[in-house]
Amino acid sequence: MSEQPQQPRKGPPGATRLRLTPAAPVEDAGSQALSEALRSSFFLVKIAMVLLALYFCCSNFKFVSEQERAVVLRFGRPVGEGEAALAGPGLLMAFPYPIDEVVSLPAAQILSAASSVGWYMEDPRTTAAGAAVPPRPTLNPVQDGYTLTGDGNIIHVKATLRYRVIEPIKFYFNFTNSAELVTNALNNALYHASARFTVDDALRRNLAGLQEKVAARTEELLREQDLGAQVQQVDLVTAPPRQVKEAFDQVTAAENQRSELINEAEGYANNILSRAKGEAEARRNRGLADRTRLVTEVEAEARYFKELLPSYNQGPELFARRLQAETLGRVMTNAQEKFFLPARADGQPREVRLQLSREAQKPKAALETPKPAGHSH
Amino acid sequence: MTKNRVNLAVGIFLMLVFVLLLFSFQVRQTELAIVTTFEKVTRTVNQPGFNFKWPWPVQKVYYLDRRVQNLETKLEETLTKDSRNLLISVYAGWAISDPARFFPNFPGASLAEAGRRLDEMIRSKKNETVGLHEFRRFISTDEKELKFGEIELEILNKVRPEALANYGIEVKFIRIKRLGLPESITQKVFDRMQKERQRLVQKFQGEGESRATEIKTAADRDRDKLLAEADAEATRIRGQGDLEAARAYEVFQQKPDLAILLLKLQALEETLKERTTLVLDQQTPPFDLLRDTNAPGIRR
Repeated sequence: MSEQPQQPRKGPPGATRLRLTPAAPVEDAGSQALSEALRSSFFLVKIAMVLLALYFCCSNFKFVSEQERAVVLRFGRPVGEGEAALAGPGLLMAFPYPIDEVVSLPAAQILSAASSVGWYMEDPRTTAAGAAVPPRPTLNPVQDGYTLTGDGNIIHVKATLRYRVIEPIKFYFNFTNSAELVTNALNNALYHASARFTVDDALRRNLAGLQEKVAARTEELLREQDLGAQVQQVDLVTAPPRQVKEAFDQVTAAENQRSELINEAEGYANNILSRAKGEAEARRNRGLADRTRLVTEVEAEARYFKELLPSYNQGPELFARRLQAETLGRVMTNAQEKFFLPARADGQPREVRLQLSREAQKPKAALETPKPAGHSH
Repeated sequence: MTKNRVNLAVGIFLMLVFVLLLFSFQVRQTELAIVTTFEKVTRTVNQPGFNFKWPWPVQKVYYLDRRVQNLETKLEETLTKDSRNLLISVYAGWAISDPARFFPNFPGASLAEAGRRLDEMIRSKKNETVGLHEFRRFISTDEKELKFGEIELEILNKVRPEALANYGIEVKFIRIKRLGLPESITQKVFDRMQKERQRLVQKFQGEGESRATEIKTAADRDRDKLLAEADAEATRIRGQGDLEAARAYEVFQQKPDLAILLLKLQALEETLKERTTLVLDQQTPPFDLLRDTNAPGIRR
């Protein structure tokens, strides 16, 4: 690069030297024409030199696009700290080479990393029937990734991480491959987290807890390794090994069945109890009603008795007759059919034959017949 | 002659720039530099920026990578203290921290060669460390037993001083990248998992039935209790009613004859309330009026 500044230096001294030559007295027209030609071509060279110098001065002017950002290294050291070190988008004016150097970086500061060290190798082949090729009975550590849970089981985990570059200078200039380090931090977090979970927690019961642990561990590693990045979000997928998937499905089915049984029993219990509550209330109310009826009836009778008592005391016989007659009168009025059987002249009891063929009145009619008969005796 | 003077100024300026370039060098953010004087290392530059030097051939500048290099070891089998096989691979980050020590060790400052040597060192330290810990230190549901992070630090603490002393390399971190079991063991783990699942299935089935029965019988019991209580309550209420009624009945004691008469009449009226057919003879008052003779007792 050291030739570049040398270039403009070569021109001017040469030009000075050559311009002296026409001072010598040259008479012939030929040499005069030559000197004219030389003079004009030197003028052109001069313009070219100035343009070159200008170009050199502007060589570090740069239009930074929306998709990129630029960092200016002044004598090799970045200008600005943290996110402030990023320039653009727009025109960036930096000094020419030996002073400044412009390095462009991607604009996206939210990046993602995926970890598949815990996932099995997906076999793209399928059997003739269209189903996936059944997995081998063992896991080959070269092909199939998995993690170990705290209770010594094997599970598959894969994760995607979204992270934000908060210190681009650190992230892009301090590491040869910072993205890979982030991925490895995520890998480590998967093993670190699953090593303390039981297989059931990791697969179903506490996936959120596992996810949280992974995120926390990744964050811790990013900070410890001073990557200048921050965890935004971790998404986890866990699965039981395909070799024992059926057994896991059976457990899920059994568990569902259990909750179904329990739900059903609870439904039964609720139904029974609400009906029992209703029935209990009804029984209590019946008791109350009975009491009220009995009491009011008796009270009414007592009142009636008290009202009648003075009249009765005045003449019991007469009063009794009167009551009797009144009652009979009412009964007679209400009765649908009335038969009067006068006594036979010879004083013998009269024989009455009743044909009891009526529908609901049977018991009543039967009840009533003996009475007059009884009376007649 | 002004034109000449301008030319001279430009010339001198450019000359100065050229000389400055010969007498200086820059170290970029990503680099370290070693300055050798007659091929002997005399100065190291750890910070990025602008520096002076004597021009070639007196002093020469060599640039080294200052950035953290990645390193991953192969997944390999290691015996734990309790003689269980564990597949382990680790990743590490390292950087040249002492160029003067690093430079002579690796011809052409080869990072690849340095990486290879470091890899050997890390692997041997890793195996050594894993051999000091039981299997349950790597995976355990008991936080107290688990020494995952501690083991990583232990490896780092063993590698770090040695790498720095021997190669001028600073190992920034060593972390486990993968853990696994030998392939033949995975089969055994699957068998065990299968059995455990079966046990769980049985447990859930039993649990479901017993819980359901428990809930149902509890409900039945509660229902019986509720109804019994209600019955008791109703009986008590009725008893109260009887008591109150009995109190009211005391009035009848004043004239039992009247009371009996009233009861009789009431009963009569009650029984003959609806759709009644009455058959009467002349004995019954007031039909005794209809007897042959109006005067009662004539036939008697």
